[in-house]
Amino acid sequence: MEALTHLLQGFAAALSLNYLLFALAGCLLGTLIGVLPGLGPAAGTAILIPLTFNLDATGAIIMLCAIYYGAMYGGTITSVLINVPGEAASVVTCIDGHQMARQGRAGSALGIAAIGSFVGGTLATVALVAVAMPLASLALKFGPAEFFALMVAGLCLVVGLAGSNMLAALLMTAIGLLLAMIGVDPVRGAPRFTFGFEELFDGIGFVPVVMGLFGVAELLLAAEKRQTHMVSAELKSWMPTRQECRQSAGAIGRGTVVGFVLGLIPGVGAIVPTFMAYVLEKRVSKTPERFGKGAIEGVASAETANNAYANASMVPLLALGIPSSPTIAVLMGAFIVNGITPGPFLFKEQPALVWTVIASFFVGNALLLILNLPLVGLWAKLLKVPFSYMCTGILIFCVIGAYSLKQNLFDVWVMLGFGILGYLLRKLDFPLAPAILALILGPMMERSLRTTLEISGGSFAIFLDRPLALALLAVPVIVGGFLLFKPRSLSPLRTSDAE
Amino acid sequence: MRQGRLIATGAMLAFCLFALWQSLLLSLTDRLGPGPGFFPFWLALVGIVLAIALLIETAREPRDPPSSESSESSDTRILPHGAGGLRWLAIVVLLAAATAAMSMVGFRIAMLIFNAGLLVALGERRWWAIALFAVLGSFGVYYVFTTWLDVLLPTGWLGI
Repeated sequence: MEALTHLLQGFAAALSLNYLLFALAGCLLGTLIGVLPGLGPAAGTAILIPLTFNLDATGAIIMLCAIYYGAMYGGTITSVLINVPGEAASVVTCIDGHQMARQGRAGSALGIAAIGSFVGGTLATVALVAVAMPLASLALKFGPAEFFALMVAGLCLVVGLAGSNMLAALLMTAIGLLLAMIGVDPVRGAPRFTFGFEELFDGIGFVPVVMGLFGVAELLLAAEKRQTHMVSAELKSWMPTRQECRQSAGAIGRGTVVGFVLGLIPGVGAIVPTFMAYVLEKRVSKTPERFGKGAIEGVASAETANNAYANASMVPLLALGIPSSPTIAVLMGAFIVNGITPGPFLFKEQPALVWTVIASFFVGNALLLILNLPLVGLWAKLLKVPFSYMCTGILIFCVIGAYSLKQNLFDVWVMLGFGILGYLLRKLDFPLAPAILALILGPMMERSLRTTLEISGGSFAIFLDRPLALALLAVPVIVGGFLLFKPRSLSPLRTSDAE
Repeated sequence: MRQGRLIATGAMLAFCLFALWQSLLLSLTDRLGPGPGFFPFWLALVGIVLAIALLIETAREPRDPPSSESSESSDTRILPHGAGGLRWLAIVVLLAAATAAMSMVGFRIAMLIFNAGLLVALGERRWWAIALFAVLGSFGVYYVFTTWLDVLLPTGWLGI
């Protein structure tokens, strides 16, 4: 009840003209930044922090949170229209979203993404208000063993996603994990596989790799096929049909739950809930063969989980002072720059600020829906741009995106190299999704496993003593068994679809 | 396709063997527990087993049916070829050249030449459109990113 009273006071402040304008500006700038390939929420939020220096602390945080949500949706636009994920979490949206665009249903895909994002974000914020503290305490009980088991389960589900050739998917996972080992050892601090290159001390950058494997590779494939446009489809409507809304309702509900629950666990990252929601949707679907070929539920589940995760990831930050993703870490930095220390004391010492910010999450989600549904048509006009201009324009932003994170031309070379590699692997039907997830999760997996083994004195029996970890480790066994003995009616997802 | 997959899997096997050798140069365990080489060692080992299994599986597949040049679609060929191959090559070569030149001539000049060159290579022939896009995509983008978004972009020897 106390929370509700505080929330109402927060709404009164968040709906004032100043804060509404900050939220609006944040949503627009965030969407704009999100549309640029490579400049995802983390880079976009960091770049735009200086814009908030002249604002009061509450206004600055409201604007930065709106930039974060806007950038998440902006990534969706490029995923659907040109198959280039604006940020990591939009990788899954490419699978069905771009197929929908190719079928002339880009408007439906973007519309359902906006609706799913709104519903997921709003419901997740309601849940945040209601159960923030108890759920955060539960997430705190996760030890390194549970983290490791969770990541193994996540990777296993992704391998299941690329189920046409399990061996190829598993090999790509191993390659992705090995690539993630490049850089300074996360536990001892010793350099590994760097061969004296200073540029490799921080590891291979995720952004250049993703931009190469997805962005540059897509352009190389399109250029070879003499495409005059990235997609030839026409936008007939910017609203999903009634049937499409009905089809997506369940996916939106399940995506909200998956996104919210995983958003509470620090370190999981936005890509895991989107993958998990997508896989869950494919598993529960009566027609799983449609996934990868333009199933609207695939877009709805991933986008809803993405936004629910984004809102839920505020729980560890606000209640415990723990950033659960790079973007949240940037936001935490912005809090500190503005003289606010996130954590349990925040609710006691600055209730007005924290509840205004929480209320602004609702406002920001509503603004994004109001802005993005009518603007879908404007974004979809990108389809009309000739390929030569689209290709050159995307490459300009890819170069900037790869370079700007570390101000390093080495990352542009990495992007180009992975672009050629991605082109070849896609032609040879090797799934890229497991390698991408492995590259992100690799350092966290290693840290969790080594910490677990240090605690147990090197004994793997520790996993038997942790029921939750054991249950999570059962997922690979269940998935493996399912793939081996699945009914014939469930034809596997084609490798190319898994991309 | 089969031959291409065999070569790619062989390359991955070589990568895993190299990683195994490199991980053995690091300590696998130390007094505190698993060392820096522990995780990559086991990953490389698993990768080697998987690569060998995939090589065997692919080798057992039936050989690709021989097909004439005319009937072969671009999708069945692994390496770029023909007019599409030239466009492919233009993107790769121009991007590599722009990246190499950027530290010397700066972002603006490198991207000006890259934009103009790529537009021509991809079929654009209207000189005014090429010039306008090349300038906006280099000097214009540089101004927006450095002035409005505070993103640092490379400048060359001449300070441009």
